[in-house]
Amino acid sequence: MMGAIADDIIKRIESFPAMSSAAAKVLSLLEDPDFNPAQVENALRQDPSLTANILRLSNSAYFGLSSKVGSIKQALVLLGWRRLSQLVLASCVTAMMNREVPGYDIPPGDLWRHSIAVSVAAEGLVDELKLKAGDEIFTAALLHDLGKLVLGAFVKEELVKIEEAAATGLAFEEAEMLVLGTDHAEIGARILERWSLPQSIVRAVRWHSDPDKSTETDVMVDTVHVANVLCSMMGIGIAREGLRHKPSPSATKRLGVSVPALERVASRALQWANDLAQLS
Amino acid sequence: MRYLVEVGDLKLGREGDELVTYALGSCLGLVVHDPVAKVGGLLHAMLPISSINPEKAKSNPFMFVDTGVPELFLRLYEMGGQKGRMLVKAAGCANPMGKDQMFKIGERNYVILKKLLWKNGVLLKAEDIGGSLSRTLHFSVTSGEIIISSNGQKRAL
Repeated sequence: MMGAIADDIIKRIESFPAMSSAAAKVLSLLEDPDFNPAQVENALRQDPSLTANILRLSNSAYFGLSSKVGSIKQALVLLGWRRLSQLVLASCVTAMMNREVPGYDIPPGDLWRHSIAVSVAAEGLVDELKLKAGDEIFTAALLHDLGKLVLGAFVKEELVKIEEAAATGLAFEEAEMLVLGTDHAEIGARILERWSLPQSIVRAVRWHSDPDKSTETDVMVDTVHVANVLCSMMGIGIAREGLRHKPSPSATKRLGVSVPALERVASRALQWANDLAQLS
Repeated sequence: MRYLVEVGDLKLGREGDELVTYALGSCLGLVVHDPVAKVGGLLHAMLPISSINPEKAKSNPFMFVDTGVPELFLRLYEMGGQKGRMLVKAAGCANPMGKDQMFKIGERNYVILKKLLWKNGVLLKAEDIGGSLSRTLHFSVTSGEIIISSNGQKRAL
C-alpha cells in the first residue's frame, strides 16, 4: 500500500513543520543522563512561548504538584526529566493541534482536547491494569492523530468517496486507505520519523487504528488503540469520524481490559483531560 | 439564554432557553420537557452505572445514567414540572463498529435508561439511538423542538 501514496501527500509530509529548534535541543539534552539543568533552561530561553506553555502544563492538576511551578528548573526538580520531556513535546505541538482540521470537520481546539484525553486515558489504563508500558506512552498517545493535520485537506477533497466507502461498513481509517492509498496513522508515523522520535512512539502512532498489524505486539500500541477508541466514545473531538473505528478484541485481551476497568478509566480521564487541555 | 451541556453535565431551562450538547458518542443525551410548565432539561451522561466510581458519582451525578436521570426529573419537579405531563426523548448511545462487547458502552447506557424509565412507569416519546456516528442535539424549551445534527444532516426528534 505504501507505494500507492500520492506524491502530493508525500510532499506535504516533507513540508510539515520541523520541531522547534529549542525543543529539539532540550530533548537531546534531557536524553543525556548527566544533563545540566542550567543548559536546559538556557536552551528554552530562546523560546519564551514554549517555556510559558511548559509551565502552564506543569501546573495542571493532573500532575498533582502541591506547589506552583514558576521556572523550568523547578519543573525539572518536581516533575522529573521524563515528565518534563513529555511536556516539552506537548508544548511544541499545542498550537498546531489547536487548529481546525478540515476533512475531519474538527473544530478549533478539539484535536488538542482529544489528543490530551487519549494521553490521560492511556496512562489511566496503564495504572488501572498495572501494565508495563514505557513512559513515552504519554507522547505516543498525544501524537497519534498528528497525521490528520496533513491528511485532512486530502480527506476533504475526497470526502464523498470516503463516505461512500465507509457506508459499506468500513471503519473511517479503512475508507481513507481505500480512497487515498494511505491513512492518517501512517502519515503521522512518517512525520514523527522525520522528527527522529523513538521507534516505540512511531510504532504506536502507525498502528493505533489497527494494532494487530504491528509486527511486534506491544503494550504501548495496544493501549493507545484502546484509549483512542474510549475517548472517541466519550465524544471528545470526534466530529466526522464519529465512532467508525473497529476496536481490536485481541488488543483488549492482551491488555486484560474488563468492562469495569474501561469505564473506571473513562470516569477518571474526563476531568483530568478537560483540566489539562484547557490550560493552553 | 443558550446553555451548553458538556459531557457529564445537566442543564435546565425555562421558556426562551435553548439547551445544546455537542458530540454525543456513546453518551446518552436525554431531554425531559414539560410543555405546560415550559420547563425542560438536557442530560449528557457518559457511563451507565455509578457503582464503578462512587466518589465521582457523588461529586458529579450527571456522569452516570443511573444517578443523572433521577436527578434530572427531581430538578424539573422543583421547577414546577409534573411527571404526568413530561415528554422524554433520548439520543446518542452510539457504539464503535465490530462485535467487541467491551466497547458497547452506548448499548449499556441505553439499557440502564430503559430499566430506570420502566421501573418508574415513564415511556420514551422518541429516540434517535445507536449507529456509529456522532450527534449534536439542540433543544428549545419553549417549543419543545429537538433537532439532531449528524454528519451534516439534520432531523427533528
